[in-house]
Amino acid sequence: MNRRPKTVHPALLVAQHQWRILLRTRVAVFGLAVLVLLVVASGLSAWHHRNTVNAERTLLQKAVDAQFNAQPDRHPHRMVHYGHFAMRPLGPLAAFDSGVEPFTGHTLYLEGHRQNSANFGDVRQSSVLLGFGQLTPALLLQTVAPLLLIFLGHAMVAREREAGTLRLLLSQGVKPQHIILGKLLALAGAASVILLPGWLVLAWAALGGSGSASLAGAMAAAYAVWLLLWAVGVLALSALVARARDALALLLVLWAISVVLTPRLASEVAALSLPLPTRFETDIRIQQDLASIGDGHNPDDPYFSEFRKKTLAQHGVTRIEDLPLNYKGLIGLEGERLTSQLFDKYTALAFQQERGQLRLVGFFAAVSPVIALRRLSMAFASTDLSSHRSFLNQAEQHRYKLVQSLNRLQAEKMTMAQDRSSRDNRISHTHWHGLAQFQHLPESSHSALRRAAPAAAALLAWLVASIALLGLAARRINKVTP
Amino acid sequence: MTAWTLLKHEWRLLIRSRLALTALGILLALTAWAVGSGVTEVHRQRQVLAQLEQLQRMDMAVQQGRHADRGDAGSTAYYTFHGTSLPPSAAAFMALGMRDTAPYALRVRMLALQAQLHEGENFNPELALAGRFDFAFVLVFLVPLFLIALLHDLVSEERSSGRLSCLLALPAGGPALWLRRASLRVGLAFAALGIPLCVGALVDIALGSPMTATGLAVATALVATAAYVVFWTGMALMVAIRGRHSASNAMILMGVWAVMTLLLPALANAVITRVLPAHQGVELMLTQRQNVHAAWDVSREETLERFFESHPQWKNTAALPKGFHWKWYYAFQQLGDESVQTLVDQYRQSLMARQQWTERLGWLLPGVGVSAALHRLAGTDLLSQLAYQDAIAGFHRQLRHYYYPYLFEEKKFSASEFAAQPAFKALMNPPQVPSTSLLALVCIGLLTLWRGGCGIQGVRVQEK
Repeated sequence: MNRRPKTVHPALLVAQHQWRILLRTRVAVFGLAVLVLLVVASGLSAWHHRNTVNAERTLLQKAVDAQFNAQPDRHPHRMVHYGHFAMRPLGPLAAFDSGVEPFTGHTLYLEGHRQNSANFGDVRQSSVLLGFGQLTPALLLQTVAPLLLIFLGHAMVAREREAGTLRLLLSQGVKPQHIILGKLLALAGAASVILLPGWLVLAWAALGGSGSASLAGAMAAAYAVWLLLWAVGVLALSALVARARDALALLLVLWAISVVLTPRLASEVAALSLPLPTRFETDIRIQQDLASIGDGHNPDDPYFSEFRKKTLAQHGVTRIEDLPLNYKGLIGLEGERLTSQLFDKYTALAFQQERGQLRLVGFFAAVSPVIALRRLSMAFASTDLSSHRSFLNQAEQHRYKLVQSLNRLQAEKMTMAQDRSSRDNRISHTHWHGLAQFQHLPESSHSALRRAAPAAAALLAWLVASIALLGLAARRINKVTP
Repeated sequence: MTAWTLLKHEWRLLIRSRLALTALGILLALTAWAVGSGVTEVHRQRQVLAQLEQLQRMDMAVQQGRHADRGDAGSTAYYTFHGTSLPPSAAAFMALGMRDTAPYALRVRMLALQAQLHEGENFNPELALAGRFDFAFVLVFLVPLFLIALLHDLVSEERSSGRLSCLLALPAGGPALWLRRASLRVGLAFAALGIPLCVGALVDIALGSPMTATGLAVATALVATAAYVVFWTGMALMVAIRGRHSASNAMILMGVWAVMTLLLPALANAVITRVLPAHQGVELMLTQRQNVHAAWDVSREETLERFFESHPQWKNTAALPKGFHWKWYYAFQQLGDESVQTLVDQYRQSLMARQQWTERLGWLLPGVGVSAALHRLAGTDLLSQLAYQDAIAGFHRQLRHYYYPYLFEEKKFSASEFAAQPAFKALMNPPQVPSTSLLALVCIGLLTLWRGGCGIQGVRVQEK
């Protein structure tokens, strides 16, 4: 070693040596190769699936948009009931992390007076298999990759100590921090072998779709931090624990607790302590609230007689027949405004409760960094709760706009005298041409990045803590004896 | 020495082993927590259902005041929503499954059913993605890890401490010793699962769950649990008796676990959803809406003619009056449902095929098998959801039959007719014992144990 030129850093020598050992270990090479293949294969398959699904939904959206335009002349209120469909498109990075996509519906029926749920998600169309996870690069990098790093790295320092070579190295004047740094370089090298295909999939998805490069970049960085965190943590314990097999046992327990156990426990705690009301209950509550405001069908209803008085005064007439607008259309507009207000109120309440649940889950990131990583990953892939909520909100706004436009058509394009039967009295279909077209606007990368900031901070805090632990391990390397 | 004293000796060794005791203690605590939260959740859902029933009764009273007294059967049926529910089964606390993600209470009215049947429930998808911490989770994912912890160093520990040659030479040592030691550890692990499960069942019974059904469900669940535990014991023995280091054994077993409970099921799920697509759901929804609303644009008599073809009993009733009539309205609603029946059937077939392939996969992958069996037993799987939908459809049919005479024959409708209309009767099926899955599970468990046990004779002092 001493004869080598001084320009080669001792840490690099240690790393080189460790790499040679790694490459000689057939099981290690096999494990790495299998995982790399799996990441690539799962990425390609998920990419293909995402494209198929997205093409299907885009096609369906176009088809229903066209169907709406192709409806014959009708009474506007019939079109309110005919309604429309909104399909949730799937962003390109969903191929990397499918997130909540299998658990949410994607087809939302928009109609007057009602707010429906998004339906036909995998969650109600799948057997128990769905609970075992989605084969995406995200799943592999989140759960399997740390396991492999444990297998590869747990003995890196501990076995040298058990074999006595560690003392030999130290007595030759190699500094402890150089030994640790060298081992870290070797393990991080193995981690990057796993990470690289993941990055390729990300680049592919970002370039192939109209995805945002900044989100793909942030995702790439998040997984790099994640694997580095494990590499550092594994080495720290390998150096701190006297025997390799004890280091292995400890690391496996930590892995099981943080990756398998805690995410479930966190979601259980959140679900039990902050339960959501059922749709059944919300429906009835909305009806009760509505009944306490007013009933548009009842001529003696106080709310709507007040409304009539106001409308008449506004136009300076005494009879609804003399209004320049069709009063039935005005009632429709007012009624829809009232119900939609209540929908918004209850939706906001439910979302607040859901956010509370996620806040509770977020606390568990202090025990399990994978919770922080998953949140980052889903936010960047636009497959988290917020992204789904954003679709639901956009669809609701679209529903409201569509229904009110149709109600306005009834008020403006029909007179009260013409409006006696919603079957026989019709207006030209040209009035609603193009009205229903729904286009979901993807979230700006800026807001996804901002939303992910707390989780990013948690993940970085974990990295800093693990580096501090590794530093401690380097300082104590002499004190631990087998 | 009798077998009993030997076992007592093993017990003394066990309580001196910190690792084994901690593992067993943690397993007991986790199972207790999982069962406890399952019982709590099921109890909460029962309370929610009781509260919904009350709300529904209040709503019915409001509807009666508003519509029924006017004697208009058509508008009463239009505005009256009826409650349906799927109460938790006796074993639901073991595996909550789809009770979290699909409605267990749904309101329907006499309009076209297919537009109402697929409505979803409010739930947080991020929580659903992580999944519940129930007994099924502990069993499928965690128990193998505990068994690996308890068994991976069964032989290697003795070898590395230098006791192996001595033990092999003893009359009651060697194979008999490993078997004794393994069965004690595995037996205690099984007890750590079974005891909380039985206690949970007793609590659930005390909270109102039917006794025999719960007993049967728990007994069956214990068989499934035992089979799964036996499978992983066999697997651990197969690895532990080869002459490798403890660390190698642990890594091999963890690798097997990752492949069998993470990778292969996820792969199978991807294959099944892609090979057996279920897009007919969306299709039927779109087609049905198109067909229902088209009725406003064709002659009313034509629509009724079509309706009478499949419902001849109303053929010779009074002709349609001028203006709106509810019988025409409900006729095209029903025609809308009937027009998508083929799609409905195809949709169902796709979902059933997914279920069947999962069950078949369970014969090879015990993790999938035991999960499918537990969810079947708990009545929280896809099949139970479909059965609930069938029950709703049956009730909807009843409702139509009840109202049609008032619409087509103009029979008098008043408060007493409103009160006499059908109400949904919740299914209280006894637990479904998934015998084929159980049998497959027991077979693969015993086979693996036998393979593991066979190798025990071959333990050698030398390392490989």
